[in-house]
Amino acid sequence: MSAPLNDTLSVKREAPKPRSYSKPFWDATREKKLIIQYCRKSGKYQFFPRATSLFTGRPDLEWREVSGKGEIFSYTVARRTREPFQGHEPFFIATVTLDVGVNVLGNVVHCELDEMRIGLPVKPFWAPLPNGTNLLMFEPDR
Amino acid sequence: MALRDAAVVGYAETKIVEKSDRDIWEIGAELLATLLDRTGFEKGEIDGLILSSSMTGASNAFWSQTTADQLGLELDFCQTVDIGGSSPTGALARAAAALDAGLAMTVFCLYADTQVAENNSRQRSFHGEWAAPLGYLGPPAAFGLLSKRYEHQFGLDYSALGKLAVAQRGHALLNDLACEKLRKPITIEDYLNSRMIADPIRLLDSVMVCDGGSGLLVTSRKRAKQKGLSKFVVPIGYGERTNFRIAENIVDVTESGHSAAGKRALEMAGLSARDIASFHPYDDFIIAIMMQLEMLGFCKRGQGCAFVKETDFTHTGNLPLNTSGGQISAGQAGLAGGGTNLVEAVRQLFGEGGKRQISNTKNAVVTGIGGIPYGRNWATSVVMVLTPDA
Repeated sequence: MSAPLNDTLSVKREAPKPRSYSKPFWDATREKKLIIQYCRKSGKYQFFPRATSLFTGRPDLEWREVSGKGEIFSYTVARRTREPFQGHEPFFIATVTLDVGVNVLGNVVHCELDEMRIGLPVKPFWAPLPNGTNLLMFEPDR
Repeated sequence: MALRDAAVVGYAETKIVEKSDRDIWEIGAELLATLLDRTGFEKGEIDGLILSSSMTGASNAFWSQTTADQLGLELDFCQTVDIGGSSPTGALARAAAALDAGLAMTVFCLYADTQVAENNSRQRSFHGEWAAPLGYLGPPAAFGLLSKRYEHQFGLDYSALGKLAVAQRGHALLNDLACEKLRKPITIEDYLNSRMIADPIRLLDSVMVCDGGSGLLVTSRKRAKQKGLSKFVVPIGYGERTNFRIAENIVDVTESGHSAAGKRALEMAGLSARDIASFHPYDDFIIAIMMQLEMLGFCKRGQGCAFVKETDFTHTGNLPLNTSGGQISAGQAGLAGGGTNLVEAVRQLFGEGGKRQISNTKNAVVTGIGGIPYGRNWATSVVMVLTPDA
């Protein structure tokens, strides 16, 4: 049996500084809403937020709210880190494939090493940041 | 005129150290003097300077011209290449392009970094917003994610990866310029038992960042012959790919831009993988070597570990690999570290490998990896084929 890895919720994270085009994403996290850029012309989502469409090279993008549910695409266990994460190892970093077809990096909390696997269904877990925004994490969708 | 009209007429390399007590320009000056001594060129004949990326120079938007000033070079062509670990090999390709375009006659490719002693970089990228808040330390986390995915799709034989680590370490023992801390023999068991950094990436999978430098002097084949130089090395194939499949949302991280860059380089050279006499791939993590064997077509995708098991990668083997130890066993000279494997390939083709000289010097293939993007494997992949005077 293994114990859950560190959830890193006590890590003193700073809130990231958004760019002009990513601010809507961070603003939405204040209400724990996940919004993702959607390219109207190609009918595809993209992540992380960019100033232009990855598919057409034109800034013809809109924000759409998504569930944030998905499954583990890959994962690693961070065992050696820098401040402010030192002393909070080990913890999970995973690539998650969201239901809408984009890959997102995030910490996975409330999960044991024995339970973690590629293909594991996950759902969003929001970790508060000092400025009132929230950091997107994931937890098993049991 | 073409890529193959360029000639590498000299190479130089410093000792790789854990932390330099010498300024980066002192390292550059040593490399310049060595190249002039070895080739018989005068300083005034150098009319081009191409630098690799460096963490020490990363805060200076005037890095190449400032460095040229410090070294007393009057130039017609002056630039820094900023494609990360791909920069040294990318710089040689750009030197050949500048010669081909008639923009320069003799180019000094200078690869130096003192990242440990003086890291001036402040990188503007996705990292601050989308990776740093996760405690994502960069390369080890990226290669942990990559390795787990590879294992899921194809299985991973860690003892095969250990075999690569041991072969490179054996070469570092034969290289007096390798970082002393790393010049201790290791076994596959040592590799398997080394501590986890970012599962399944172990300590002995990973490069140790060091300080040091290397350099090349490049001119046209015609000029090299006019100067009466009997030995030189020619690039006969090159491919470069940045942001492989950027417009795909769910990228198969087990495939890299080396599939595209390698195809182009080998086609340009008129060679296939089985013709490659020695292989000098960029090595920041051991699995990157194995994946590049697949990408260049030494074996099918997913068969890298099996290929490793049946191949002898030592300098006397059937596919000599990074015969100066690679970055993982010689030390990674910051962003200039890609020069280590490149300069070793040139040295081998000059027949100056000394106690680690390989017997088949028909050609050598060098690669580069540069930059860690979001959720993918690496940003830039380069592949170059070199031959002795072709």
